Formats: sequence, structure tokens, C-alpha cells
Amino acid sequence: MNDTAASHAAPASRIEISRRTALKLFTGGIAASLAGCSPPAEKNMPYVDMPEGLVPGEPQYYATALPLGGYGRGVIVKAVDGRPIKVSGNPRHPASLGSTDVFAEAALVELYDPERSRDIRGTQPINGWTDFLGELQQWSGKAKRGEAPLHLVTSTVASPTLLGQIAALKQQYPGMRWFAYDPLGDDESARSLIPRLDRASVIVSLGADPLGSGPMQIMASRAFINGRMPESPGGMSRLYAIESTWTLTGANADHRLALPPDKIDALAMEIVGRLEGHPGSPLSLEKGARHFVDQMIADLQGAGAGGLLLPGPMLREETVQAVLQSGKRRGAPLDRAAALPAQLRPEAFAAFEEALHSRKVQNLLLLDCNPAFDAAPDAKFANALKGVPFAVHAGLYDNETADLCRWQLPLSHPLEAWSDLTSADGTVAIVQPLIRPLYDTRSQHEILGFYAGQTAPSGYDAVRQTWNREPQDKGFEDWWRDALVKGVVSGRSPQFTLSAGNAEISPPASSQSPSDASAADGSFVALIQPDPTIYDGRFTNNAWLQECPKPLSKGTWTNAVSLAPEDAAALGASDGDVLAVSSSEGKIEGPLRIDKGQARGVVGLTLGYGRTDAGAIGNGLGYNPRLLSPGFQNVVPGVHVKKTDRRAPIPSTQMHFSLEGDLRKLLPEVAPGGSLPESGPKPSLFGPPQPRDPYSWAMVIDAAACTGCNACVVACQVENNVAVVGPDEVANGRAMHWLRIDSYNIGTAEEPRHGFEPVPCMQCEKAPCEPVCPVEASVHDTEGLNVQVYNRCVGTRFCQSNCPYKVRRFNWFAYNSGQEYKDLGEDPMPARNNPDVTVRARGVMEKCTYCVQRISGARRDAEKADRPIADGELKTACQEACPTRAITFGNLQDKGSKVNARRADPRHFTLLEELGTRPRTTYLARVRNANPKLAGGSA
Amino acid sequence: MSAIVSGAEPLPPAGETAGAPQGERLTHVDTLDAVNTLVSGPLLDRRRWRRWWIAMIVASLLTILFFGSMIYLFYEGIGIFGNNSIVVWGYPIANYVWWIGIGNAGTLISSMLLLTHQHWRAAINRLAEAMTLMAVAIAGLMPIMHMGRPLYFYWLAPYPNTMALWPQWRSALIWDFWAILSYLLFSIVFWYTGLIPDLATLRDRAITPGKRIFYGALALGWRNSARHWHIYQTYYRTMAALATPLVCSVHSIVGLDFAASLMPGWQETIFPPYFVVGAMYSGFGIVVVLCAAARWGLDLESLITIRHFELMAKVMLMAGTVMFLSYATEWFSAWYSGRGVDRRFLTFEFTGAYAPLYWIMIFCNCIVVQAFWFRTVRRSLTAIVIISILINIGMWLERILIVWNTLSHHYIASMWRLFYPTLWDWLILFGSLGFFAFLYLLFARFFPVVSIHEVRELVHREAIR
Repeated sequence: MNDTAASHAAPASRIEISRRTALKLFTGGIAASLAGCSPPAEKNMPYVDMPEGLVPGEPQYYATALPLGGYGRGVIVKAVDGRPIKVSGNPRHPASLGSTDVFAEAALVELYDPERSRDIRGTQPINGWTDFLGELQQWSGKAKRGEAPLHLVTSTVASPTLLGQIAALKQQYPGMRWFAYDPLGDDESARSLIPRLDRASVIVSLGADPLGSGPMQIMASRAFINGRMPESPGGMSRLYAIESTWTLTGANADHRLALPPDKIDALAMEIVGRLEGHPGSPLSLEKGARHFVDQMIADLQGAGAGGLLLPGPMLREETVQAVLQSGKRRGAPLDRAAALPAQLRPEAFAAFEEALHSRKVQNLLLLDCNPAFDAAPDAKFANALKGVPFAVHAGLYDNETADLCRWQLPLSHPLEAWSDLTSADGTVAIVQPLIRPLYDTRSQHEILGFYAGQTAPSGYDAVRQTWNREPQDKGFEDWWRDALVKGVVSGRSPQFTLSAGNAEISPPASSQSPSDASAADGSFVALIQPDPTIYDGRFTNNAWLQECPKPLSKGTWTNAVSLAPEDAAALGASDGDVLAVSSSEGKIEGPLRIDKGQARGVVGLTLGYGRTDAGAIGNGLGYNPRLLSPGFQNVVPGVHVKKTDRRAPIPSTQMHFSLEGDLRKLLPEVAPGGSLPESGPKPSLFGPPQPRDPYSWAMVIDAAACTGCNACVVACQVENNVAVVGPDEVANGRAMHWLRIDSYNIGTAEEPRHGFEPVPCMQCEKAPCEPVCPVEASVHDTEGLNVQVYNRCVGTRFCQSNCPYKVRRFNWFAYNSGQEYKDLGEDPMPARNNPDVTVRARGVMEKCTYCVQRISGARRDAEKADRPIADGELKTACQEACPTRAITFGNLQDKGSKVNARRADPRHFTLLEELGTRPRTTYLARVRNANPKLAGGSA
Repeated sequence: MSAIVSGAEPLPPAGETAGAPQGERLTHVDTLDAVNTLVSGPLLDRRRWRRWWIAMIVASLLTILFFGSMIYLFYEGIGIFGNNSIVVWGYPIANYVWWIGIGNAGTLISSMLLLTHQHWRAAINRLAEAMTLMAVAIAGLMPIMHMGRPLYFYWLAPYPNTMALWPQWRSALIWDFWAILSYLLFSIVFWYTGLIPDLATLRDRAITPGKRIFYGALALGWRNSARHWHIYQTYYRTMAALATPLVCSVHSIVGLDFAASLMPGWQETIFPPYFVVGAMYSGFGIVVVLCAAARWGLDLESLITIRHFELMAKVMLMAGTVMFLSYATEWFSAWYSGRGVDRRFLTFEFTGAYAPLYWIMIFCNCIVVQAFWFRTVRRSLTAIVIISILINIGMWLERILIVWNTLSHHYIASMWRLFYPTLWDWLILFGSLGFFAFLYLLFARFFPVVSIHEVRELVHREAIR
């Protein structure tokens, strides 16, 4: 810049200008700027006749679907004045059942992320779509001539339209190769099982995690809890979990055994052998573990067809197949996820790497995937990718892979584009946009349209063509409309689709063998698993998910290296010490988390962190475990763990996990059919409170049904504009979540177990927070809500001091109104806010309101129709999100309400009842269906 | 008070005293004029203020730090403190209770000792009253710095507003607001009216017209008439009678800030009396330090004698023993209640994360003071000053531990969390000490630190005996 300025000022270019000329130029300049620089005249007109169905400020709801790991989950998205502000489940969709998971809830942050890729990026800063299309034309020509065949890399594809487009491209480009991978690993046959947990009476999980994060989490959690309800037909199911590191499945098990991966594999073969009646030599186990296994197998045998043996992805392929065959013979309730048709199967990622490294790839399209981070984070891959002359990355973010490519094409968010998605169980939903693309982006279908030679491809047309295969189809418009309204496709099938059911999957060519994993040289086995809140790394820049506490450790904003207490003691390391984990391939460093109940000799690692180009939120957090073994090996034997002299304590929302003595009353547990001692409200001098309104809101949370998945936590955050505070503030103990899930260690030293307890505001009838507020900012309303008047609050914090449940949260800084973490305050991020909920200022206290804005909405609707609010008509955000329906909300004065029925349950209890606060939020006790023949079965 | 008056030698004029070498200070004051000269001399001549300037520079720097931190606090938000969502209270609350406690002793000395005819108080009551005033003023700032939205602190007052909103009278914080306010107003009035006869003395002895006008205006036309004295005595004793219940109520209400809750470690009926005693305890400690400083800085050895220190040591011994008993009562009732939460809390106090601080507190508040059983310790100025400082450290620890222990270790185990102070917590604490010193130095520069007329009365009384 300075150089140019200097050259202009050089004396050689000086012109003599007279006064008159100067004036002339001056006037001319003004005239030109007046005429030339005003925007073109575009007249805005307000609408006089309101568009049908649109009332300003009133929300609209659209059914669509959101992808996770390629598979869809049906959702219903609420939009206010054209802005999507809340994602909820679609009750008609079998992979959602009206509930959500953390990823669906947090999808909005991704949509409004200021760091999304907004413009096409080429080698020059001013490159636009036309430049790209010009270049594409040349390369397409070459590809068609066979000079530079097209290579397409995707992650898992479950969109019928995309499949159709890929099939069409294959026709168009003869030598085209398609590669697809799942960042979680290539152990597809174990990962793509759908256990019908509601139909099983004894479930044995061999390292599987059906209740953990994934496209099947909602379905599996609902089914699991349905099978554990006292009213379920086959009685309550019993879950045994055999796993190496803690998963949500293990945390919800009645009995759990920790074994390293190779022993689980061997044990799986032993169990299959004994079930099939040809027992081999039993695996050598400690006495307690042997007893556990024997009793478990006896239980499994007794269950017959209700006995479900669930292989996990850590097992060898042969073992998985043996377990599946055995299950099939016994009629175990186990299905497979929808899979690609045989005629359209992609090649494995390894084949792509081979092609890349042998310099065969010249024309490459990486569609919505990030292999430079999640598959091959090594320099060799990076250099090879840099050498590809026409490498195009299409994605939501300008990420690690995009940096290595010639072109970055900005993708539209699923909430901005037309598409269709198959869910894991084979249901297809049409993805319809909630909002026009915020930036100059294109959908996946449109980008493939460009490759197919279309000049102005339309995602809408592409999706409709998939479903309207016969022209002149008279019924199509009606069908289309119906599919959009319902959010589920029925009655039509596209040319290429995923088939659900028990389709066989041919085992992958290379099968890892963990049996040689137990090295005697003091080395460890690393077990890599998806992160419970970040999953595979695609959500690393999502602040809501970063701040969402990991279900068991309550850590946030980083991944940890977990070790058994004995192993940590041997290293002399304590929680938060940075450990260096090295394999023959690479080395990572991460903070230690000591996990009671983790198998000895195992290092637990999770995916999704260690990103370098995720964005301001996600950069530099945690480590990438794939560095230990490029490729998709999830069990890495022979790793060495060393303690470094650094510390990096994990920002955590909970510091104390054990319950000793009478603290057990915080989370009671009963046997099936058991009950807690009768307890009612204590007698009061003032008599029972007289309701002054037809509604008395109350909530009952079934601790037995809570799997700890966190969907409610994020749902609450989205619904109520709860701020993200960032890792430092979480470490300072200032996380803002209104609803937290307390996680307690409730087992014994021999068999550690976890218990979850969601804690929103108790909405006490005699609320201790109210009399202590000097300015009456904490008050009671006539419907029994304990409400906080934000604009009256002066921030003395006496209310939280005196709250026995510690459910109030204080705005130490203006987390949402001026002092946001990193770029969370930048446009368009504030558009995510729910307009019905105040954005709290600095210095005020806030807390759960029972979603008072939803209550008001329901009351308005009911008053318009001159009727009372019906039971079940009104749902709080947490209740709506819960995959297991653990939360019931309703009117205490309606004698027939579900919440009254639950309060009459023998498992009903009140948290800290002895304080006389008379909470409106109460609980049902945990239920443990222990095997009476096993130690600890007396609980 | 024979120590003061038993000297036989007539005193030299104050100006000569000032010029005398350090070793030859006045040891006896036995005429009324000597009292006047001794106390008012430093205020009216120009010379001996070097020590004062050195102290003033240090105090001013700390004061700038205090107000600088306060401005940054108001700009950035109270997130700069170490508080978290669980331990929502922190240093400002502890500082507040501590300063208010110090503020209590002044009035206690003035009023209770007056009503009980402890005439030795005459030498120290002015010092103590001024200390009260400044400590209460600083204490009053602390809750404002503690608030999330300090600009709305006046919402605690029942001022007329369009929303017709009043404060919430059930909250102990409202009682507290009134307690501080009335105590502050009372302290100002009590201190100022006690000063009037002395201001008249200064007016009469002033050598420059400026000083004469300054003190004359403040003396409000005091003419030393018998009628003035009559009205004054009646008024002053009435005020003293009012002050005693007020002083008890102030710190009882501070105790209720904690006791009117349902948290373990706070919900205790012993809090109000034990807070009053604690306040007297730390207040006497600071009075000792101030007396020692004034005595040294203003050459008042003949007025503030070692016997004064000995008497104050006895009061502290009594207070320290009562504190010990109060702690023991707390421990006993926590154990005796049988409630799990209370017993866990007790264990946490003695063995938890803050246990080292708790043991230091017990040492400072209960153990060290037992040295005052020995006459040699009571008569050693160094020992008394060191013990007084230790007591004040202990009392500050007591206040911060009351906040930390209960908020860190309460009913719900999942939400147990510790407090880690930040730089700003410390700056406000030490800055407030500097601001106190700043105010006190100003007071010592312009007003008599010893009540001239009361010492005169004492001298007179002894002379006619």
C-alpha cells in the first residue's frame, strides 16, 4: 500500500493544475460522487395484505431433518419472523420420536456462526463462483476425456438425492471414483446395529454404546427406558455392560465390568461358545470377574430370545460376526442400520489415500468432510493434497482440509438448503430450508449439479426430481406437500436409497486385531471413542456443545486422557496433570482424568479435539487422538504414557462426585417395584397453601429414566438464551446452565456406578431465595412459580447464597450483552436468541423459569379458545428434548394430570425435603435391577 | 488517672515541647493549660509534620489504588473478583463485616465507658470515635462494590418512585441498610458534637486568621458558658445512652445477614451476640494500634499512657475468651444437632480446604490473646500492638471463613466448590486500609485526636480531689 502511494507521489507524475482546473475537477468530482455512489433506487413497500399464515412475532414451525454422522434425525424447527430459533424433535419421525439430542439442539449455533465459510475462496482473494465454474468446465472436460478422472470423497451419505446425483455423475464421468468414510472409524458392522432394547430382557453390551452419542442415540435410549418401565410387558430389563472406559451405556447399566479391549473380545467368544453349547477354555479372569461373567451368562441363557448380546466396535470383525450369527439363531432383537445399496457402494478411505499418494488424483472434490483432521492428520497427506491441481473442498467451514485445497466452496447449512436424509432405521425425511442462505453458499446438491454441468442448479429441483421419477405424476404435489408437513416420507421410493433391516454387510478388507494388544512391557492400549458432546470434530466450533458438560466427568472445553486410578498412581499423576501419550506413529498430550472403574492398562481418548483451523471457538482445544494412528484404528496397542511436569486442569462444572453417609438421600435408589418411605408435606402452622389461580405448575423428574445424555441441558440453553461463558469462566465456576445434570458415583469400590440427577429450579413453595432479596426481585407468582424480575435485580446474590439447591446463576460479566466469549457477540450470532426471553444484563441473577414464556403462550392459546390448558399441551424445553421422557410437567390442580400420577408414585421423593421448602420440582427414585446372585445385588 | 496528673513540675509551653529532643517528652500533664497546649499545639503550629507527610504519601498511594480498583470494578463488572456461582459472596462481604466491626468499638468506648463512668476513656474516645466514623464509611462502600449493579444501590431505600415499589422488608439486607445508615449518621453527629468545645479551644488559641475562621465556623459559636455546658452534658449523655443499643443492633443485624438464612454454619442463633463481641474485639485491636501511632506521632505519651493499653488489653482478653466460648458453642451445637449437614460442615471447617486458615484464625482470635493474663505482656506496648494486629488478621479470617465455609460446603454435594481470590480482591482490601489511613491522617492533621475538654475535666477533677 505504502509503495503504491509513494510511486504516485513521485515528482515525475506531477501535473501543473491551475486554480480554474482545480475548481472544475472539484465540482466534477462532487457531481460524479453524488450521481455515482448512491445505491440504485429500490423502493421498499410494506405489505398491506398480510401473507397467509404469517403473523409478525408469532412463531412458525417446519418439519425437516438434521444430519449426524450422515444419518438424519427428524426435527421440527421453530422460526420467528423468518429466523430459526429452536430445534425440537419430530414425533412422527422414528429416529427422533419427538425428542432431540445435544447436536440437534445446538445446530442453530452452527447456522449463525460468524466464522462459517461465507464466500467462495480460490487462490486469489477476488475469485468468485464464475472463476470456479470456468475452471470446473476445463477439468470436467478433461475428466470426460479420461485425462483427469473425478475423485469424490464424502463422509457417510444417507441422502437419496445425493446418492442419485453421485450415481448420475458416475455415468457422466466414466473413470470417476467415490470414496466415503466415517470419522468414527471403519468398524461399520458393529457401529451400525440398532438394538431393539425394549424387546430384550437381558442385555449384555460388549463395549457397545447404544445410549451414547450417535444417530441412533434417541431411538436406543427411548427403547431402553421403555424396556425398564415397571409397566413394560416383559418386566424390567437388566443391562450388563462390559467395557474398557466409561460410556453412557456403562453408566446406565445394572452391572458393569471393566476389561481391556482384548479381554472383551476373548470374553465375547467365550460367551458365544457357551450360548451355542460348545464352550471352549474359559478366559482367565479374576475371581470376582469370573463370578460376574458366570452369573451373567446364566442370566443371558435364562432370557432365551430376550437375551441380547451387543458387540461393540472395539471387537474384531470375526468376533462381531460370530456374536451376530449367534444372536440371529436365538432370535435376539437386533437390527441393522440402513445401508447403501450394493450397486452403489463407495470405496474405503484407504483406497483414496493410496490413489493420492501415487499421484493419480488431479481432479478432486471433498464434499462436506475434513479428512486432513479426522482421517489423516499427517504431513504426508497434507503435502499430497496440496499437490492436487484441482482440489475442491465444499464445506460449512474453511477448515484444515480446505486450507490444503485450491478451492473452498461455502456450503449451505442444512437449515438453509433443500435435501433429503435417511435415518439409521431407514426412514426418509425431506430437509426443507427454514431460512434463505445467509451468505453466497450452495447446497451439496447444487455443487454436484455444477459438476454435472448444470449452469444454475437448484437443490429444490434436484430433491423433487428424486421423488418425482415419472413426469406427469398428478399426485406428486399432494404427496410432496404431505411429506413436507409431516417431515416423514412415505409411499414413494427413490432410485437409490438406503435399505433398512438385516442387510448383510461384507466385512471390511482389513480387520484390526486387538488380541495382540496386551503388551507386557508396561505399555497401554489406547481406546479412541467419539466425544459425548463434540462427536467426531464436526462440532468443535460450536460453543454450546463445547460448554455442555461431558455427562460423566462434567469437564468442558477439552478432551481428557483417562486412566484407571491404579495406573495413574503408578505414574504418580493426579487429575489435571498433562500426560504425553505416544505410539509408534505419533504423540499427543492431554490432561489426565482419573476414572474409577476404567479398565487397567487402558488409556481412554476421545475424538473431535485438537483442531487447528476450526474457528475462534474450537481452535487449540484438546488433542487429536488420530495422531496416534492415522487411519481409523480405534484400538491402538503399545502406546506409552508419560507424565509431563505441566498441569492443565479441565474446566469442570462439578467438583465433587461421591455420596457418603446421609448424602445418599440426594439420590436414592430402589429395586424394581421398590418404594421409598412415605413422605408428604410437613404440617404447617399456616395450613396448606391456597391456590389463587387455576394452575399450579409442577415437575417430576424420573431419575431412573435419566440416561445423562444432556439433551435437556442444551435445549434449556437454546430456549432461554442462556449464555456461554468460555473455558476460563467455567473453570472459575461460573457456567450459566439453568438446568444441570448432577452426576454421582453411587457404586461401591469394587463396582463403581454412576447416577444422574437433572436439577432445574425446584420452584419451592416456601422459597428460601424470596425473603432474603432486599428489592423483591425474587418473587412468587400465583401459579406457584418462583420468578426472578431481572430489571429489578441489583445483584446482591443473597438468593443464591440461601438457595439450598444452588440452582441460580449470576451474570458476573455481560456474557450475552457486550462481554461475550470470543466471537459469540458478532453478527449474526445474536439472531439465535429467543425473542420471547429477555437477554440478561450484567450483574443480575437468573434461573430456571419452567419456561414461563411457553406457559404464557399456552395460556394465550387456551384463553382464545376459552378452555383451560390441557394436560400435556404445554411442554418445557427440557421435557420436550428428553429422549426418555424422564421429565413430566403439568398442573397440580388437575387431578387427572400425569404429574399428579407421578407424584403419587411409590418412588416419589423430594430433594432436601427436611428443609421444608416444599419444592414443586420433585423426583422419582433410581431403579436398579440388580442380579440377586451378584455381589451388590442387594441394592 | 493519677499517672496523668501526679507530676509536680509545671509544664513548659507546647512550643518548647515540640522543640525538645525526642527523649525529653512530656510525661506529666497537670494543668488545664498544659492539656490545651499539648493537644492543640500540633494543629496550630507548622513544624512537626514530617512523619505525617511520609505516612500521607503511602496512604494516598493506597487510596488511589483503592479508587482506581473501584473504577475498574464498575467498568468491567464484578466478575473481576474471585467469586463463582456457588461461592457468590467474597471479599467485599468479609471486608464489610470487618470494617463495621472495627467501627463498633469507637462508639462502645465512647458511650458504654461514659455511662459506666470509666473516666480513663477521655484520652482515647476521640481517637476511637473518629475511627468509627471512617470505618463505617468504608464499610458502607463495600456492599456497593459487592453488588452486581451498583448503580442501583439506592433501590434498597424506600424512595418514592413511579412503580410504587418498596424494598422487601423481610430481607436482612434491608435491615442492614438501615443499620449502617443510622449508625453512620449517628456516628457523625456524636463525633462532631463531642468535638465542638475543642473546636472552640482551637479557635481561641489559633494564631492565624485562616485557622481562626476555620475552627470558629466549625465551633458553631460555642462560648464556654455554664448554660452551654449544661445543655451539652445532658445532650451528650442522652446520645451515649442511645448509642449503646444502636451499637449492639448494628452488629446483631450484620450477624442476621447470615443467621436469617437456612444454610449450615450460618443458621445459628448465637450469631448476633457473638458478632457484637467480635466487633468490639477487633475494634479494640485497631484502637490500640491507632493509640500507639498517635502517641508516637503526636508525642502524647503523657495522655495516652501504658495504663490505657493495659485496660484495653483486659477488655480484649475478655472479648477473646468470649469469642473462644462462642466458637466452642458453635462446634458443640453442630455436633449435638446430629444433622449430617452440620457435622459435615464442622469436619470441613477443621479438615477441609480452608482448614489451615481456620486454624490460624483460632490461633489469632482465641490463643494469642491469652497472653494478656500476664501483666508484663499487658504493659508491653510492642506485645500489645502485635497481638492487636494478629487479632485483626484473625477477625478478618473469621469473616471470610464464615462466607467461604458455608457457601463452599452446603447441602448439595455436586455443587461444592472453592473460592480463589484474584488480584482485585486483594487490591480492594489493602486499598481500603490505605483509604482508612488517609482519612485518619487528615483527621489527625486538622482535629484534636484527644478530647481536650474531657481531659481538662479529668485534670480538674483530680486537682480538686
